[in-house]
Amino acid sequence: MNKKSTIVTVLLAVVMLLPAMAQEVEVTSRQRLLEGVEGPAFYPVLNTTGDRLLFSTQDGALKCYDFADDVTTVVTRDYVAGNDACWGGDGKVYFVTQETGDNRLIYRTGRCYDVRTRETATVTQAQHGAVRAVPATRGGALRAPGGQNYASSTDIGSAAWTEGNRVHVTVNGEERVFSPVDSWAGYLWASLSPDGKRVAFFAAGKGIVVIDLRGQMLAMLGNYEMPCWYNNDYLVAQNAKDDGHQFTSSQLMLLKADGTWQAELTKPASMSMQPTCGGGRIVYTTIDGLLYEMRINIHE
Amino acid sequence: MKKNIFKSMMAALLAVMAVNVATAQQPHVYINPGHGGYDSDDRNMVIYPFHQGDSAGSWESKSNLRKGLALQEILQRKGYQTSISRVTNTTADDLALSTIVALCNQSGADVFYSIHSNATGSSAVNNFPMVFYRGYTGSPQVANADVLAADLEPYLYASQTTVWTHNYQIWGDWSFRPEWGTQGYGVLRGNRAVANLSEGSFHDYIPEAYRLLGLQYCWMEGWNISLGADKYFDRLGNFSQGVISGNVRDDRIKRLQENPQPFIVYGDDNLMPIHGATVRLLDDNGTEVQRTMTDTLRNGIYTFKYVNPGTYTVEVTEPSHFTQTATVTVNANASTYQNFYLKRVRDTPPVVVDYSPVWHEDDPAVKCSTPIVLSFNWDMDSVTTCSAFTLDPPVEGNFKWEDSYYRLVFTPKDAFDVNTLYTLTLKKSAEHGGGTAMDEDFTMQFYTQPRNHLSELAVFPYEGAPVHFKTPTVELRVDSLLDTYNLFQKLRVLDSEGNELAWNKRSIKYNKNGDDYGFVRIPLTRDIEAGKDYHFILDVDIADTAGIHLPAARHIVFKGVDAGADKPGMEVVEEFENAADFYAGTKSTVSASNERLFGSKSLQVDYQLEYSWEGYETKIQPAGSPPAIDVPYAPGDTLGVHVWGDMSYNDLYAVIRLENTGGEQWYKLGTIDFHGWRYLSVPLNTLPDDESVFRFDRFMVMEGDKSFSMKGTIRFDNLLRAECSGIDEASIAGLKVKCEGDYIVASADTWIQGMELLDIQGRSIKATGGNCLNVADVATGVYLVRVHINGRTATSKVVVK
Repeated sequence: MNKKSTIVTVLLAVVMLLPAMAQEVEVTSRQRLLEGVEGPAFYPVLNTTGDRLLFSTQDGALKCYDFADDVTTVVTRDYVAGNDACWGGDGKVYFVTQETGDNRLIYRTGRCYDVRTRETATVTQAQHGAVRAVPATRGGALRAPGGQNYASSTDIGSAAWTEGNRVHVTVNGEERVFSPVDSWAGYLWASLSPDGKRVAFFAAGKGIVVIDLRGQMLAMLGNYEMPCWYNNDYLVAQNAKDDGHQFTSSQLMLLKADGTWQAELTKPASMSMQPTCGGGRIVYTTIDGLLYEMRINIHE
Repeated sequence: MKKNIFKSMMAALLAVMAVNVATAQQPHVYINPGHGGYDSDDRNMVIYPFHQGDSAGSWESKSNLRKGLALQEILQRKGYQTSISRVTNTTADDLALSTIVALCNQSGADVFYSIHSNATGSSAVNNFPMVFYRGYTGSPQVANADVLAADLEPYLYASQTTVWTHNYQIWGDWSFRPEWGTQGYGVLRGNRAVANLSEGSFHDYIPEAYRLLGLQYCWMEGWNISLGADKYFDRLGNFSQGVISGNVRDDRIKRLQENPQPFIVYGDDNLMPIHGATVRLLDDNGTEVQRTMTDTLRNGIYTFKYVNPGTYTVEVTEPSHFTQTATVTVNANASTYQNFYLKRVRDTPPVVVDYSPVWHEDDPAVKCSTPIVLSFNWDMDSVTTCSAFTLDPPVEGNFKWEDSYYRLVFTPKDAFDVNTLYTLTLKKSAEHGGGTAMDEDFTMQFYTQPRNHLSELAVFPYEGAPVHFKTPTVELRVDSLLDTYNLFQKLRVLDSEGNELAWNKRSIKYNKNGDDYGFVRIPLTRDIEAGKDYHFILDVDIADTAGIHLPAARHIVFKGVDAGADKPGMEVVEEFENAADFYAGTKSTVSASNERLFGSKSLQVDYQLEYSWEGYETKIQPAGSPPAIDVPYAPGDTLGVHVWGDMSYNDLYAVIRLENTGGEQWYKLGTIDFHGWRYLSVPLNTLPDDESVFRFDRFMVMEGDKSFSMKGTIRFDNLLRAECSGIDEASIAGLKVKCEGDYIVASADTWIQGMELLDIQGRSIKATGGNCLNVADVATGVYLVRVHINGRTATSKVVVK
């Protein structure tokens, strides 16, 4: 490379970086949710329109909060049902309950809760092993590798989920499986971008990975956890540190999906964690279970 | 083709069904070896011969992984499904807590074990297993987590390859860490499996840190966790093989303390582990079933894995010890522990191979504190050897064994007598650890020096000393360099209620090589109270570097005073605020000091005594001509000055100039035998009562009889003058001074603040802060007694009989 081309390359890089450097995010509001109404709440999950919120209580019950009505209903009191509950594209709640058998094995049952009728249906019978609720654009599914699966309809639209060190993507009934990065421990927290064109997931030991629907890696966003799509271009994720026993800090990060920019939404000492996004809302909890709603404005 | 496709699909379906049936009954255990990598949060225990940060050393992250991998291998052999969060030990493996929980949940595991070892994080040293589950103790958040813990702990605690200090403990993490609220341990938060965090032992118990280096030891913890899982899932009967493990140690040789700092050991960990012993497992027919060797990691641990049930003989051989065997019974899916305590092969009688002190006639005499050391060719039997030990003349003392009974040290309880020839005889009845006695008596002699105790040269505060209340400094001086190790713990100052006052340890000064005498000088951290008595205690074991200690403990009572207290009748005639008004000798300097009693400065003099006709001296006098200060005195006046002393034991004089004649008179203010501020005064009662004009001329620091140093630092503040008021015995109401027996006793109508005995030349002999002065040690004769009352001074003549 001669001198001239070097200068051109450097200038080009500077010009490309300028917009990114000028970018900033403004937290326009932040308020407690359900203060004085609910005790500690964890694992919040917003629906895609952001008007309903699932959360899990300290005693393990799964509840649903309706922002419009300001009403909270109990989905189930089965312990830990809320830890992996999700909203289906059909507006229903898909979740898993578990019971211990006489042989001390854990049997998991797939369930579907209709918010309108407040009725719960058993969609997969109790079975041993992993059973996981998977959101899809037009419904929901219960995935049990090697066991009884369930889909809310024959055409649940698009979905993404992880099993071991593989990410599964279903589009129009066709399922593809990708392993774009090595990860001994496995992948977690897969989700489709709102426009359905990209998938973000977490690879243990590597961090957040963004791929397209063909499995091509588009970006690696850093070693953050629990990514959720804020919109088609940005994700919110958890940046927690620990000493091997307890959390020592935890904050929320705003990440540009192409990996070119990131910003703090909360400070490390805020102990904020488990973000969820929907309809322009960001909801998260804290180490001691205080739910917050945050609104942001991204200046590009 | 369609038919083939159908066949293939059916075959695949059947295969899936078969797998599913198996999986349906197969417990799934998620294993999380805690931490990961060799970083600051991965718990590196620095043990010899490893250095801080050495990845070959003891790391919790490493031993956790070894246990986890062992557990995975064992559980898979036992028919479990397993998942594990890491299989290597790198920083990238150190997964975040939320990630570990999510991985476990995604795996669909029934049970989750997070494998750790513990540390007290303090100087306390413990070793016992602990296990935690989420929730309050007895009330787990996930059902059966307490049962899983209760099923696990007895198996961990049953291990006899370690030394436990306490019984095992099971806790809900919310109860164990109430200060964390319901935050709890991160790997238990939101975990849908029946989850435990197991702290298998304490890695800051140093012998345990060595054990955790061992693959076999870590494997055994994995095995014991598998037994806990079997118990929980009622699968103890599903596995047909057992294990044998144990330690091989010497039966009496002590473990070496190889770490830079001595470490605490309990129980069998006191014994020397035997490295590289061959351990054979023999069946009923004497046929070798397995063979292994004890580790070389300072543990002496052996393990036989996967042994079929039955009765076996375990045989341990090692060339320097007698072979030992033990019969053991192995049960299916159970641990059998068999420890060995090998007897050393001692094939010759014991002899003394070295000794000290070594002394021959015409050699220099031996220090009276020198311990007697006998080294043997074998580890000795304590009882027979100590019984065989005699000294002539006899001396009371203590025996101490070192180097695992190879070396006997006898230390006299006090000290050997001076100028004495001692004869030590070790009778031949002394036996080594194997029970064989010596062939003949051993004898040695030594002659002692003429000194067997430390001699106190000076101490401050001395008995009855008035001590200015402001963070007083104490000092002990002795005739040889002190052993400074923990010396400050051997000196104490107590208030009148027995409360110990703290030292300012950062300001301790000790003697150093080359000093003429030994000393320790320490200030207190806080002020004392004026008017109260305090106690300065010096322990008897204050010793010099040769181990020569004080002849006895010292208990000194001193009084807190305010040296700057108002002195009625006294006029301030110079405040020493301006150092430029004074100069000292050519080798001395004057300066202003912030260490003051009054105003904003005091006058500091860093002096070095110079030889003159009067002896070694430094003069401190007003500068300029005429002098910068002009202070007249009259016969019978009292001159007083506040002096900050350096405990130099130099003498301080005030010199009065007789203007008419050019002559001068010297008045001794006192000996600088103190630290801190003190008020010194002297009556000018020998000035001629004529028309002369008397002026303060200078202070003189003179080498005294007991001077310790020709240079030092003193300070002056507020020079006072009390005009002659005819103060004498009669001028203070009711003052009487009598010498009665061994005491001079002063009495008056008011409180007497102290008295000082002067010889007829005005030199201070001794002083007291009270009204009673012991003169038993004072030669008979005529003396002056200076009595201090309410800031006034009266001098009286007294005869000591």
